[in-house]
Amino acid sequence: MTTFAIRGRCVASPPPPDWREQLAGMLGAKPRRIGNWAELGLYGALSCLADAGETSLPPDTLLTLGSRRGTYMPTAQVLEQMHDDLPMPLTFLQTQPSQLLALLAAQMRWRGSAQFIAGGTPPALLQLASAQCGAAGVLLGWVDEMDGGSSLWLRLKPCEISAGAPVVAPAESIFLRDATHLYMVGSGAKAG
Amino acid sequence: MSPIHLAGRGLACSLGLSVEQALTTLRQGGVHPAKITLPGAMAGDYPFHAIPCTKDDWNERARDLVQRVANEAGAQQIRDGVLLIATSSFDIGAVERGTTQMDYQAFADKVATWLDWVGPVHVVNTACTSSLNALLLAQALMRSGAAEEVLVLGMEIDNRLTLGGFAALQLLSRTGSKPFAVQRDGLVLGEAVAALRLSTRDAVVWDLAGGANVVDGEQPTGASVRAVNEMFMQALADSGATADAIDLIKVQAAGSPGNDAVEAQGLRETFGVVPPLVSLKAAMGHTMGASGAAELALLTACLEQEVWPAYENEADKELGVSLAQAMPQQIRRVMATILGFGGSHASVVLERA
Repeated sequence: MTTFAIRGRCVASPPPPDWREQLAGMLGAKPRRIGNWAELGLYGALSCLADAGETSLPPDTLLTLGSRRGTYMPTAQVLEQMHDDLPMPLTFLQTQPSQLLALLAAQMRWRGSAQFIAGGTPPALLQLASAQCGAAGVLLGWVDEMDGGSSLWLRLKPCEISAGAPVVAPAESIFLRDATHLYMVGSGAKAG
Repeated sequence: MSPIHLAGRGLACSLGLSVEQALTTLRQGGVHPAKITLPGAMAGDYPFHAIPCTKDDWNERARDLVQRVANEAGAQQIRDGVLLIATSSFDIGAVERGTTQMDYQAFADKVATWLDWVGPVHVVNTACTSSLNALLLAQALMRSGAAEEVLVLGMEIDNRLTLGGFAALQLLSRTGSKPFAVQRDGLVLGEAVAALRLSTRDAVVWDLAGGANVVDGEQPTGASVRAVNEMFMQALADSGATADAIDLIKVQAAGSPGNDAVEAQGLRETFGVVPPLVSLKAAMGHTMGASGAAELALLTACLEQEVWPAYENEADKELGVSLAQAMPQQIRRVMATILGFGGSHASVVLERA
């Protein structure tokens, strides 16, 4: 059984009304031309890191990102533009989910292993991450634009012993606000 | 830790609808890419490596290719294993035609249904490095004991979004793919569906020894020298090999003026004496998220059957590296690299079992 200590989290579902102002404050300037989905992702990841007391990640940390619909809005825009012309270059870039990985790496001045997993569920994403990450742990995010938007992030580190008796929550609830640890059991994850 | 074997492979690309067809075509000198006409500000014809398979319906064509390639790799033996679909474009070609809604999970479910897959299915998208990152994910799952059999399925099938986007970014060549050549002027894209079956049980010729993925935000649409160097060093460390133990490197070398130079500098800095190099981009085009799986399927077959791609263009001597004109002898360890969008740099090491 793998146990992760939750060192930081951002559960913005939906994000607060002033999330864009908060993001501009964290970046030092208003982000430009990166698209709403990437802005949501940056907001959640940087908030999670701040909650963990970190400004960057150790190089051997895994950065893993998942989403149900990802960049479907800029993709729809590009398909519209392509009826009679090529897409706008920056809009095309916004259709590529991996651009958010590069944006995060640049913002954190970090280089390391990062991936985007399309579809699935947050517990499945955590299951994959638990097979991949080492002692430095993982920064795990789940970002979507639908239904007012959500940006859910956890900064996790593997640990030997869990503190206290686990309060088992449904496997879908890895972002449960008061959990301190995650237990990987079988093919799912549980929060405690 | 059990070795991870490359137990099966399948390929459909512009060279043919199977690994054997692709080898035969390559032996005969390869194929000339088709032309695709794009509208608007960058209007004109662009070379494109299309798979020689015609069907009116995008989904029917994709299903046919996926089933064909998966069967060639022996996927029917491991339907309860893990399926990792690697793509940068999903089924956007069907979305463009109005026959499908854009939905990641529906895409994954559709492909799983085509293959009668009953095991877990995940979709990896890290742009051009998707297939190599799926291989690295497979390796992690197998090393941790979470999986014994994994099918990596690279899919990059006809769509206008990718071509149009790359044209808009002025990354495409209008003349042809010229890797590491003096007149290189951009990428030539292509379609491919490729499958690599990994197993801890069935040993054949090649093992996956290790690899690395390094994302660097310095150049979101290209490679950086420092990340290339880190990628090489981490891949060597992970596979337990030293630089002088690598007998051949399959390079990215997509014919991009900037990226080819960055990759060449990284090769010189990491290896000192650079091993023989091979590129398959001129033969099959840059097949984006499928490229890692497609190029490994073809390369391993080339090495086993002593087929070597021909390079027609004059090498750029300023790069300080060049592609091997003939197949080197006694190849035991091969490194394969893909560099891509999102600042992603990935490399794996294969060794003879």
